[in-house]
Amino acid sequence: MADDILNEVVSPEDLTRFERLYHEELHNGSVSRMTQFNYSFCLVRSEFCADIRKGILLLEELFKTETEDIDRKRDYLYYLAIGNARIKEYTKSLKYCRAFLAIESENSQVQHLESIVKKRMETEGLKGMALAGGAVLALGGLIGLGLAMAKKGNKESGSK
Amino acid sequence: MSSSGQYSYSYIFKYIIIGDMGVGKSCLLHQFTEQKFMPDCPHTIGVEFGTRIIEVHGEKIKLQIWDTAGQERFRAVTRSYYRGAAGALMVYDITRRSTYNHLSSWLTDTKNLTNPNTVIFLIGNKMDLEGSRDVRYDEAKKFAEENDLIFVEASAMTGENVEQAFLETAKKIYQNIKDGKLNANMTESGVQHKERGGPASLGDSSSSDKPNCSC
Repeated sequence: MADDILNEVVSPEDLTRFERLYHEELHNGSVSRMTQFNYSFCLVRSEFCADIRKGILLLEELFKTETEDIDRKRDYLYYLAIGNARIKEYTKSLKYCRAFLAIESENSQVQHLESIVKKRMETEGLKGMALAGGAVLALGGLIGLGLAMAKKGNKESGSK
Repeated sequence: MSSSGQYSYSYIFKYIIIGDMGVGKSCLLHQFTEQKFMPDCPHTIGVEFGTRIIEVHGEKIKLQIWDTAGQERFRAVTRSYYRGAAGALMVYDITRRSTYNHLSSWLTDTKNLTNPNTVIFLIGNKMDLEGSRDVRYDEAKKFAEENDLIFVEASAMTGENVEQAFLETAKKIYQNIKDGKLNANMTESGVQHKERGGPASLGDSSSSDKPNCSC
């Protein structure tokens, strides 16, 4: 349903712009937390898995090294949950959601994300089951067809 | 109404909600989508998303609303959500003058980053707190007229005028489409037209977006 938060994609211009800033600062020897966050924010919204994974790494680094600012820690946690959900690492994503909710249980934005991830896990799990179920049905159909033909054969031989 | 009926619509309009931190952007969105007031609303992280289907002149329209964080540290990244917005709700708090004083900066961003036909709606939130009013109605009204904005005072707490702000914006966008000012299906327009006949479902809403990476 309303899971556009996991579907919207960063524009290539934005990604390039924040990537350039990041590399400039990296080249000059020190990347500010703001620049690293802005770049990760774009990376985890990319259409490419490799970008998302890179964004997750950068966010993990920010999270580990942030000691004072609790507000920023919650930003990192939230986007770690988003990034992991986008590459279908649902268990990890839920882990980050729960870590967040353990501190701020009433946060509706994270509750919203958690319910989307759970729903995705369910539907994608169901799809897997439906595929397996389809194979059973197809097999059942073949057996059914065989039985019908056998019956028809019996009938024909019986009417002679 | 059939179960699929409530999910079918002929247009998608994209909105953004912008304004200073703590003016009540998320609360307005929550009041509009859930018809409930959310007390002690925490600061939004980056962006949050909301959706609701409304009706304008007999046509069902799905509003896809991006609620941006008001904190300064998100300003650079939330700018990317202005692009392709058909409607922008610009919010200030009538009890905090500073949030009103910053409107020109929000307006500059909006004009620079959206298309010329984006409908901008100015909302003076917290009108229920008349006793602590810090911005006069007629003053804001004048600002809105000078800048060609639609204006209303509203309350996310009581719900007063909240519905009106979201609906009036949609009516104006719809009018722009009918007048040929806005080309539905141009990405920048923030409007998507669903062909009649086939049932449009919420699941289709992401069809314009790139599919999730499948790894």
